[in-house]
Amino acid sequence: MNCSSPIDTAVLADYWLAALPGPEEEAIEEHLLGCDSCGARLREVIALAEGVRNLAREGTLRMAVSDTFLRRVAEEGLQVREYAPPPGGSVQCTVTAEDDFLIGRLAADLSGATRVDLCLCDERGVEQVRLPDIPVHSGPGSIAYQEPIDQAKAWPTRTMIARLVAFDSAGTERLLGEYTFHHTRTAP
Amino acid sequence: MEVELEDAELALRIRSGSDREAEAELFRRMAPRIRLYGLRHLRDAHAADDLTQQVIITTLEALRAGRLREPERLTSFVLGTCRMTVLDLRRGTQRKQRLLDQFGADLVTPAPSSLPHVDQERLTRCVQNLKERERAVVVMTFYDEQTGSDVASFLGVSEANVRVIRHRAIRELRECMGLAA
Repeated sequence: MNCSSPIDTAVLADYWLAALPGPEEEAIEEHLLGCDSCGARLREVIALAEGVRNLAREGTLRMAVSDTFLRRVAEEGLQVREYAPPPGGSVQCTVTAEDDFLIGRLAADLSGATRVDLCLCDERGVEQVRLPDIPVHSGPGSIAYQEPIDQAKAWPTRTMIARLVAFDSAGTERLLGEYTFHHTRTAP
Repeated sequence: MEVELEDAELALRIRSGSDREAEAELFRRMAPRIRLYGLRHLRDAHAADDLTQQVIITTLEALRAGRLREPERLTSFVLGTCRMTVLDLRRGTQRKQRLLDQFGADLVTPAPSSLPHVDQERLTRCVQNLKERERAVVVMTFYDEQTGSDVASFLGVSEANVRVIRHRAIRELRECMGLAA
């Protein structure tokens, strides 16, 4: 099942995503209909893509998400619970057994920031997790981030602080906002 | 070239008469490849199975009737048939039942799905280990099926950059999952 001119796996992924120009796609299809080796790697790419899709649908990743993503999961009938404390403020929150996604929405002015990190801290403000260089748009707006729903359902009653910090072009760090979540456990 | 010759030989054997062994070999060889084409274009496992059945049967019809004048071009013929059949399936003009009646069920059983198993726990760790932008790109791409321009807009980078990030993320995921050659 060896191939004398194997197609790069990244190109196979582009093929799966229909992201190739027509002539390139046609050449790859001709190759795939005669090559089981590249076909096997394409199956791996498809399996990875399906796996990532399932992970995303399960809400078990900690990550910044787009509004388009949140619209899509809502369209699928999945239950999204979202909390949006103001900068410097706090919110009472919980998560129930029926929830599929837990979202924190953090409003901030991101003007001039070349890089923004999201820091998740315990109730004393000690940083526990940092998501460096999260995707942001410059200017006033908000960042939506997802907590792993499976972990959130197991949390005890507790307080968590989220901080957004920005870096300017000189690499200087400044606090954009601090947001406090008072979580009450309600899931069994 | 060796594969082309083997394909040509197979085509000649089928053309020479009712060589069921050669027809079964054609199915064994081509069905998984046709199914991949179907998954890519139809995005549905059952539809890909339908495509596989119809393309195999159309190919056998053509070979038996001697309509494939250049047997070494079997792959090109199958690819052309795939394209036409996908168009037919999309138009909803399926000939499935008539063909099933004509050829019998033994040659038209679905090809095995054969997607490799993915360890979801390991994949979770691997995806979580990606950089934030890489994770955003693979999730938006594979879950949302968003176009490069949508992802580029969210990340505030160019589409070319999104492609670079996506390629890097896929390479890292494959390495982390132990798939890289």
